[in-house]
Amino acid sequence: MDLFSPANKPEIRIQELTGERIRFILTNTDLSMANALRRIMISEVATIAIDMVQFDLNTSVLADEFIAHRLGLIPLDSTEADKIKYPRDCNCSGACKECSVELNLHVKCTEEDTTKDVTSKDLVSHDPRFTPITEGPKDAGILIAKLRKGQEIKVKCIAKKGVAKEHAKWSPCAAVAFEYDPFNKLRHTHYWIEEDEKKEWPQSKNANDDFPPLDDEIFDFTAKPNRFYFEIETIGSMKPEDIVMNAFKKLLEKISSIQMGLHSNDVPINGREPTRDVF
Amino acid sequence: MSSKFNTLEREKLFLNPSSNKFGYPELQKLVKPHIDSFNSLLDPPRQGLLNFAIDDIGTQEIFDKPNNSPERGNKLSIWIDDVIIAKPLLPESVRLTTSRQIYPSECRERLTTYAGKMSIKVCWQVNDGPVLAEYRPVGMLPIMVKSNRCNLQNLYPKQLIQHKEESEETGGYFIINGIEKMIRLLLIPRRHHVMALARSSFANRGANYTEYGVQIRCAKLDQTTVTNTMHYLKDGNCLIRFTWKKQEFMVPVLLIMKSLIEVTDKGIYDMLVQGEHLNTFLSDRVEFMLYNFKSYNVQSRDQCATLLGDKFRVTFSPPSYYTNKQVGDYVLNKVILVHLRTNKDKFNLLTFMIRKLYSLVAGECCQDNPDSPQNQEILLGGHLYGMIIKEKLSDYLNSIRAAVSMDVNAKKKVDFNDKKYMNSLLTKNNTEFVGQKLAYFLATGNLISNTGLDLMQTTGYTIIAEKINFFRFISHFRCVHRGSFFTTLKTTTVRKLLPEAWGFLCPVHTPDGTPCGLLNHLSHTCRVITETVKVNKIPEMLAELGVSINVLQQALSEGPPLCVQLDGKIIGYCTNRQAKIIANELRRRKFDKTKPIPLDLEIGYVPPSNGGQYPGIYLFSTPSRMMRPVKYLFNNKTDMIGSFEQVYMDIACLNEDIIKGVTTHQEFAPTNVLSILANLTPFSDCNQSPRNMYQCQMAKQTMGTPSTSLRYRTDNKLYRLQTGQSPIVRSGLYNTLGFDGFVSGTNAIVAVISYTGYDMEDAMIINKSAHERGFAYGTIYKSEIVDLNDERERGEPIKHHFSLGEDASPAWREKLSNDGLPLIGVKLTNGDPLCAYYDDTTKVTKIKKYKGTEDAYVEEVRLIGDDAGKEEVQKVHIKLRVPRPSVIGDKFASRHGQKGVLSQLYPQVDMPFTESGMQPDIIINPHAFPSRMTIGMFVESLAGKSGALYGVAQDCTPFKFNENDTAVDYFGKQLVRAGYNYHGNEPMYSGITGEEFQADIYIGVVYYQRLRHMVSDKWQVRSTGPVHNLTMQPIGGRKKSGGIRFGEMERDSLLAHGMSFCLQDRLMNCSDYSQCHLCSKCGTIFTALISKEHETRNDVKYKKHHMICKICDTSKYISLIKIPFAFRYLATELASMGIKITLESKY
Repeated sequence: MDLFSPANKPEIRIQELTGERIRFILTNTDLSMANALRRIMISEVATIAIDMVQFDLNTSVLADEFIAHRLGLIPLDSTEADKIKYPRDCNCSGACKECSVELNLHVKCTEEDTTKDVTSKDLVSHDPRFTPITEGPKDAGILIAKLRKGQEIKVKCIAKKGVAKEHAKWSPCAAVAFEYDPFNKLRHTHYWIEEDEKKEWPQSKNANDDFPPLDDEIFDFTAKPNRFYFEIETIGSMKPEDIVMNAFKKLLEKISSIQMGLHSNDVPINGREPTRDVF
Repeated sequence: MSSKFNTLEREKLFLNPSSNKFGYPELQKLVKPHIDSFNSLLDPPRQGLLNFAIDDIGTQEIFDKPNNSPERGNKLSIWIDDVIIAKPLLPESVRLTTSRQIYPSECRERLTTYAGKMSIKVCWQVNDGPVLAEYRPVGMLPIMVKSNRCNLQNLYPKQLIQHKEESEETGGYFIINGIEKMIRLLLIPRRHHVMALARSSFANRGANYTEYGVQIRCAKLDQTTVTNTMHYLKDGNCLIRFTWKKQEFMVPVLLIMKSLIEVTDKGIYDMLVQGEHLNTFLSDRVEFMLYNFKSYNVQSRDQCATLLGDKFRVTFSPPSYYTNKQVGDYVLNKVILVHLRTNKDKFNLLTFMIRKLYSLVAGECCQDNPDSPQNQEILLGGHLYGMIIKEKLSDYLNSIRAAVSMDVNAKKKVDFNDKKYMNSLLTKNNTEFVGQKLAYFLATGNLISNTGLDLMQTTGYTIIAEKINFFRFISHFRCVHRGSFFTTLKTTTVRKLLPEAWGFLCPVHTPDGTPCGLLNHLSHTCRVITETVKVNKIPEMLAELGVSINVLQQALSEGPPLCVQLDGKIIGYCTNRQAKIIANELRRRKFDKTKPIPLDLEIGYVPPSNGGQYPGIYLFSTPSRMMRPVKYLFNNKTDMIGSFEQVYMDIACLNEDIIKGVTTHQEFAPTNVLSILANLTPFSDCNQSPRNMYQCQMAKQTMGTPSTSLRYRTDNKLYRLQTGQSPIVRSGLYNTLGFDGFVSGTNAIVAVISYTGYDMEDAMIINKSAHERGFAYGTIYKSEIVDLNDERERGEPIKHHFSLGEDASPAWREKLSNDGLPLIGVKLTNGDPLCAYYDDTTKVTKIKKYKGTEDAYVEEVRLIGDDAGKEEVQKVHIKLRVPRPSVIGDKFASRHGQKGVLSQLYPQVDMPFTESGMQPDIIINPHAFPSRMTIGMFVESLAGKSGALYGVAQDCTPFKFNENDTAVDYFGKQLVRAGYNYHGNEPMYSGITGEEFQADIYIGVVYYQRLRHMVSDKWQVRSTGPVHNLTMQPIGGRKKSGGIRFGEMERDSLLAHGMSFCLQDRLMNCSDYSQCHLCSKCGTIFTALISKEHETRNDVKYKKHHMICKICDTSKYISLIKIPFAFRYLATELASMGIKITLESKY
């Protein structure tokens, strides 16, 4: 299949789109492209997450590094993550407004008898674009620690842009479901069956959208997968459709940089080694 | 069959701890034997073990004239009238506090001993004068936590938390210098039961001895014991052996018998033969023995006792005015069958012993197995503690006697009526003599005793109750040791798992390796009896049931009479037919409210057999026995059965095992035979048995939650898993004992697949993203103690003060605050200051350095003042926190003895994934299964998967499923209902290419434990470093930065490969390479010396710098050679013995 012929343009059919998940079928492309999309969504879509935590005060029962770790995993709204620079691309020495967002957390428990919950709602962001996500006004926020009377946490957090390749906290999605060939027509796999396939192997939900094999269908050993069922669930920092779109953007960037690399490889510029940065 | 998470109930217990009951009462019961045995020391009042002990010690009678003088002089009678142990309190001199109570947590934090003041009431009387009394302190006695002398007694979660304890604190241990110590349970021979033995060591005792003997361990009311052994001699005679102050004595049994009661030879003959006149084996020997005894030429009881007294007067050192007969009675009282009160009873039991011995020799009965739990009981910590206290108290009285006799012999003035003199006598001893000795005993586990306490070992009685995790901690209290003597034994018979152990000792939970089979664990239902059972009505009842004191002649037609014994006392005899009826009737009456027989009475009916155990009815009511609950099918009530009677009972395990008319009892659950830990292994009935053993070991090594009161603990090292989870798959006992309070693992998504090769050979791959999200993140807490008292001599005034003087460097100020103590939360690397103190004399600030190799954070700083709270603080305890995220090389294990090492943190995108987008946390290799056959792990994976899908906890109690109703089917159906494959397989895709794998993959949820073995504690590397100063070879040991031994076998392999250069490098160049001068003429390496000759060139004298052989007197043949230094050492050693080594050189 010629991927680049206009007749074979990849197609996406969105089947479901909610605030937290998107389901679509990707067709007319090959496996490597589909998997690349999956991989990028998991590990290379940039988001914002707390990266550095400076403790001014921590009298809670939890250790500093433990709280810092919890803070890092809190999803921040990253819809406008592309408006911010990667720290490595920034000219500043430490952290500046161009490449980071400062969030502050200062909670003290003064109540008698009950514990006070420190949640992501207590995080005060210096930039309204990048705040901890909440699900409506009723959302209690993500629990960070519990304080009893007299205990106090005061920290300064620096959130930075990054990708999940570096640390899982930058991943925008919880899980990416990916399937092709629900009927195993390509015979890539071999189902373990002891008695009855129907009883032991319930059908995948994607089977409804695929074409069941005909009774007399002849096995086509040259067939290639070209229908890919995706389902992406966001952790909240981005809308699911944005994850997909950003992933496509990233994919394009990658492909074009490869193309550039291939061309520039023919004639080395200034006799130097071509740049190997694929990002 | 789903279990429950009980999340809300736990939350409620946590938020509102109860002030009148425990959340998990079953947990408290597990430790009960320890606490109750300690409680019995002084409980019930006036009838505690120590009260019995002081009664037994009795009165010391001391005279103020020498032994050999004609007149006796004044008599001083001195005895201990009472023992008082107070709860741990502050001394009255301390005025700074309103509450005097000391609680265990304070002792833990202050690294002191949790002890209460012990005092005794000493009474004395001069001649027949008035009785004088004085209370004397005898030291601070370590108190068992939660015993009746502990300030935590009868406290419930709410108050326990207020006192900084675990909400479900179990107690049962002592606190010595801040360390929790406990007395280990020990298996010892069952008391009051005559055991038939055949030991080759008996035959080796002398020319006339045979291997046969019978033995009985007799216990007094205070739980101290004396063992009497009866030996069978080749000529048919019997000798009694006993031990007194570690010395052994042999006495002819007839001498003992005749000095017990007035009896004729005929009487003895009748008692021994009991109408079996046709049994010539028996009658011949009895006749011979009686005939043989004539040679002693003593007939009456008085004569016999006098003879006995005469022989033992010196060894027993009774009061000097005793007549020989009185001494004889004294001996009989002290060492012969001490559990019996009357001489008649002792005589009767001796006849029984002789009959049993003859029966053993004749081959009519078999020997009893001393390694079988049937013939064993448990030495409880509290009882041992009491025995030691008793001995120390008795030593005290003896020392007073010794002091007087020394004064008398030294012709000093001895006046018992002089208050001053008496005071000096009573205080002669160290005032701490009991408290200190017992603290030493608990701290070291060494028993220092002059009687040996009738025990087989002197060391290893106590262990640290480690809190590596809660499983390990609680297991300590359920573990029973066979005795350190047996660890040295070459034979493996003592280690055997015997059928008699069923239900009492866990068949699974024993370590592999050296202590295998010697270190066992009680099954979780097994109880150790601590209270004395009331049995005074039983002899009456037995008489009513047809037991007669004399052998009934008319009954003899039914075969030899059976002996009925209650706690080693002969109640009477009956026929076999009657015996069976009696045994059944007694058991029935256990449940009869009108004729109550205590439930804890053991009714051991041994029926007559052809060469089996010696028949009879043996009733046991004493403490220290192992008993367990089973269902009495007669009325479906709970019956307690002991390890002796169980052997002769018919107990069904499952319903299908019941045989009508035979079976009388049934197990409540098949898992009742398992220990706590063995019970927690999911579906252990599906596993190959050794794997369950391994799991019991590994459960005790996991990083988990050691304690919920971590803030108040000062353990040397504590392991903590920060992100523990409650297991989805758990057994019934897990909930009953509330182990959710102490989680020790993580529910991990586990795929069984061979992927990337990083999972070869028991290695496992962990998802890097899971790791980054905190999977199996652990922490170690370490203690550093700085004591400035070590810096000064004892008695000197304080001259070091924790502070940071003005001379302190700014670098120190980053880590320490002005008080010289580290800031909380500060990071310490090797060489950083731990704390600083100012020295008054030198006027400089000094620091203590942090010497650990790992970075640590200061968690807590504790100032430890002196006991009276008067002096300036000199001691601090600093708790450090070492973060330990899992790294490559750390050890993990599932709950099925499947351990593995983390070999790679693999990026999430590259991990295989299922169609729903699931990516495993852990990948393990399929090769881990075929040979190990841990099917339980597969079932757990299935159960965990469906539990996670439905959000329910799954019950994994073993033996709940069977062949017709399999676990796989049960969970498979649940999975199908949730849209997953019946077998737990799923098609998976390669994360790298996105291609579907050829085979579907087994993936599910398995609870994984992180073990405490971590590379950070184990890595060892060396290029050069310290060497041994004798051989110049590198030293070993990681701490000393030594090397790893390159041994013989390693050398062999290099030889086999022909890698001579590498060999040279390892064994010579990198080891003890050295050079020396060899004279090849004489072949020695010692004779070459620097010549002292000088040569003159241009009128200047030069030293001649060449080597010269002193023997050959020439430097011509000297050459420099390379040798291993060890060779030179060898040559010197040989030379010192006059052996010369000559080297032949070719150049």
